[in-house]
Amino acid sequence: MDVKLPQLAEGVEGGTVVSILVAEGQMIEKDQAFMELETQKAVGSIPAPSAGVVTKIHVKQGMEVSVGQTLISIEAAAAQTPSPSTTAQTNPSLVASASPPPEANSEAPANVAPAAVPAGYRYESKSGMAPPASPAIRKIARELDIDLTRVRGSKAGGRISLADLRAYVQKLQHLAFAGAVATPAAPAAPTPTSPTPAEAIDFAKWGPIRREKMSPLRRTVSRRMIESWTSIPKINQFADADISALLALRKKYAPSYEKKGAHLTLTSFILLTLGRALMKHPHANASIDSGSLEIVYKDYCHIGVAVDTEGGLIVPVLRDVDKKNLLQLSSDLHALTERTRQRKVAIEELQGGSFTISNQGSVGGSHFTPIIYAPQVAILGIGQGQAKPVAIGDKIAIRTILPLCLAYDHRVLDGADAVRFLKDIIAGLETFDEADIKLK
Amino acid sequence: MEPITTEILVLGAGPGGYAAAFYAADKGKKVTLVEQNPRLGGICLNVGCIPSKALLHATEILREMKESAARGIALGEPQINLDKLRDWKNGILDKLGKGIKTLAEHRKVQIIHGRGHFEDSQTLRVETADGQKFIRYEKAIIAVGSKPALPNAFDLGNPRVMTSTGALEIPDIPENLLVVGGGYIGMELGTVYAALGSSVVVLEALPSILAGIDADLARPVMRAAQKTFKDIRLNTKVLKMATAGKQIKVTLEIDKQPREELYDRVLVSVGRTPNLTDLGLANTKVTKDDKGFIHCNARQQTEDPNIYAIGDVNGGALLAHRATREGKIAVEAMLGEASAFENIVVPAVVYTDPEVAWCGLTEAEAKQKNIDVKVAKFLWGASGRALTLDRPDGLTKLIIEPESERILGVGVVGAGAGELISEGVLAVEMGATARDLADTIHPHPTLSETFMEAAESFYGTATHTLSRRSGS
Repeated sequence: MDVKLPQLAEGVEGGTVVSILVAEGQMIEKDQAFMELETQKAVGSIPAPSAGVVTKIHVKQGMEVSVGQTLISIEAAAAQTPSPSTTAQTNPSLVASASPPPEANSEAPANVAPAAVPAGYRYESKSGMAPPASPAIRKIARELDIDLTRVRGSKAGGRISLADLRAYVQKLQHLAFAGAVATPAAPAAPTPTSPTPAEAIDFAKWGPIRREKMSPLRRTVSRRMIESWTSIPKINQFADADISALLALRKKYAPSYEKKGAHLTLTSFILLTLGRALMKHPHANASIDSGSLEIVYKDYCHIGVAVDTEGGLIVPVLRDVDKKNLLQLSSDLHALTERTRQRKVAIEELQGGSFTISNQGSVGGSHFTPIIYAPQVAILGIGQGQAKPVAIGDKIAIRTILPLCLAYDHRVLDGADAVRFLKDIIAGLETFDEADIKLK
Repeated sequence: MEPITTEILVLGAGPGGYAAAFYAADKGKKVTLVEQNPRLGGICLNVGCIPSKALLHATEILREMKESAARGIALGEPQINLDKLRDWKNGILDKLGKGIKTLAEHRKVQIIHGRGHFEDSQTLRVETADGQKFIRYEKAIIAVGSKPALPNAFDLGNPRVMTSTGALEIPDIPENLLVVGGGYIGMELGTVYAALGSSVVVLEALPSILAGIDADLARPVMRAAQKTFKDIRLNTKVLKMATAGKQIKVTLEIDKQPREELYDRVLVSVGRTPNLTDLGLANTKVTKDDKGFIHCNARQQTEDPNIYAIGDVNGGALLAHRATREGKIAVEAMLGEASAFENIVVPAVVYTDPEVAWCGLTEAEAKQKNIDVKVAKFLWGASGRALTLDRPDGLTKLIIEPESERILGVGVVGAGAGELISEGVLAVEMGATARDLADTIHPHPTLSETFMEAAESFYGTATHTLSRRSGS
């Protein structure tokens, strides 16, 4: 049986083979990882859909593979011939069931690139059937040259109704129209998604150089930064927070948190404060749907935390920040960043963020202007707290001042909204309630 | 001689050809229909579906009469008048054939009777009773159908060795009839002759009759046939046939041992071959596959840009209703419409007793292709309607995609299965789920309820069975 690369996550069409963990002729167990793949989003392992002997490996380390490509061939071991009914189930595409359901990430890249197809949705059925739709709908789709596998069906069993098809076509037109308006505005400019490469410059004539291929991760970071930079009208709002009292509280409680196995970091405090502020200021937790020209408000608060790894910047997402206490946030944050540094974070853990923070404190950064992680509309940049002389009343005191910068999308947030939001964050940090730290 | 000119030429007036011709005429095209047989309608009407079903219906009463005695109503000995039976059957064919002719005339479709031969990609020569005629066309549709295969070894030039065409004429009621081939044609015609009183033996080279049909659907047919027929011999081959006076001497191979038997008549039903010899295809760009069927794409286009092909000549399932659908697609494609044969299912019906009908994915196919499916079944023994009809020997099954609960295929065996299957066809084409079937009210008491109950059994809630959850 040929094992093909399953759809790992929405929008992930393939990746680079990092390592192959099996050899030809080797026995393999069901669900045993046989290959590591670096996608645009993370490094993940691919599990075997069934047990057997690896008869052939079709790919090599460093090779780029895409969804549906045959990776290895497995032959069921003769000794353990399964009953006929289980044979029918040893289906290579079973692996695909491990992928998240299509609706798992509604924040597909569509909102970033106006000319793109709305979301990377594609209908897949283990039985290989075309998406369910009545003959009349299929006829209309054929006439319009619409690929029905790209249309999300809303009826039972994923059946596509006329309303679904109509909504899809309308969305396409919205997007096409938005793209047409945007293009003439910058006639000579390179398209946002594909920056024109600098003309081949011979750097070597000024001195020795070395070249390194951009990793898929670096390429993704690069693409997304350009998309964000060129598509979002942004404002950077600087502020300072006096965290002297907060640091005293941290010092007081850090040991009891350590006993529980949790590191009480400044980031944990910021997360707790942010969770509450975001619920109070839903604009900062929103997205723009450029297709339907709607603002999407989210009743959840999943915060992306930028993590510096050996491979580059990765932003895993901490879920339901507004529903967790400081202890949960501290231990969850620690576990998530560790998994990220070891490149063991799952692709789903990188998706669905509604806001992002980037804390440069640990490496000594000061004020900086972070780039918004589209389709989110705001990001908070945090520098290193530094002792500074501050006027308190008519006296000068030495306090620890935390440099903050809120970068926000002016299409959604007005200046006053942003300041009010930032003020609430500062107030939350400066007057942190001890009751929120106490362990119960 | 001036050639006849036409926009669309259709060669062959079977259910594919005449449907295509009429549709093209309805769309405003000038159409010429060429048919060698004096009566329109093709194999289906003349020597296929219609006459065989007429005979099956007419003779069914003989079986009914026998069974009726057990229900307290006994009838006397039946009197069979073969001439009258044949006339009645031919009357139906005449009526239907004339109907097609009338429909063609109203649409101003020009009909030319004679044998066609392609001279080039846009010219057909027709040998008519009034001599040769040449037709210049813009586009042509080949719809010449197929004929029963008669291997050379069996072709003795003796009318006692028949194909389905000869058998449908019922020249007499042979005392002993050998049916070579246990496919649907052999089983259907064997049933007719057995009902009329022949002692019928069916031979099949494969290990089962009705090859390709799910085993659980074929089983009730096998069980009934074992009662109706004298014998059904599986894994058996015919080595030789020879004329022996008024009988045919047949040499069989049973358990690797040759054996000689005498039969009054032999029906050879071992498959069908396309009617593509001496058609002049070499003068066109039309290509054929290694089995001799025409190559064409989903828009019914052959390799020749001016020629389309529909129906049996393309191979696959040799079914009239498929040809009809293909005919419409070919016309739409010619008119530049974005049509293609993309029906999910082509239903099939076998008119044995009991009937078998199926559509979409079969259980066997799912296994073979490693597709994970759930099968939900309802046995007719629990159907009130089946019992009142004294036909509990039935089964309705649904092939279901587990995650979406979408119905991928449907199979039915039992009385009237051919009429019942259309609900399954609609369900599959519409992308219906088992829930859709289960929640649709079906009238009581009918056999159609078995669809609803099978769907309910998928959820473990069928009213009239104690099923495990999620079916079996």
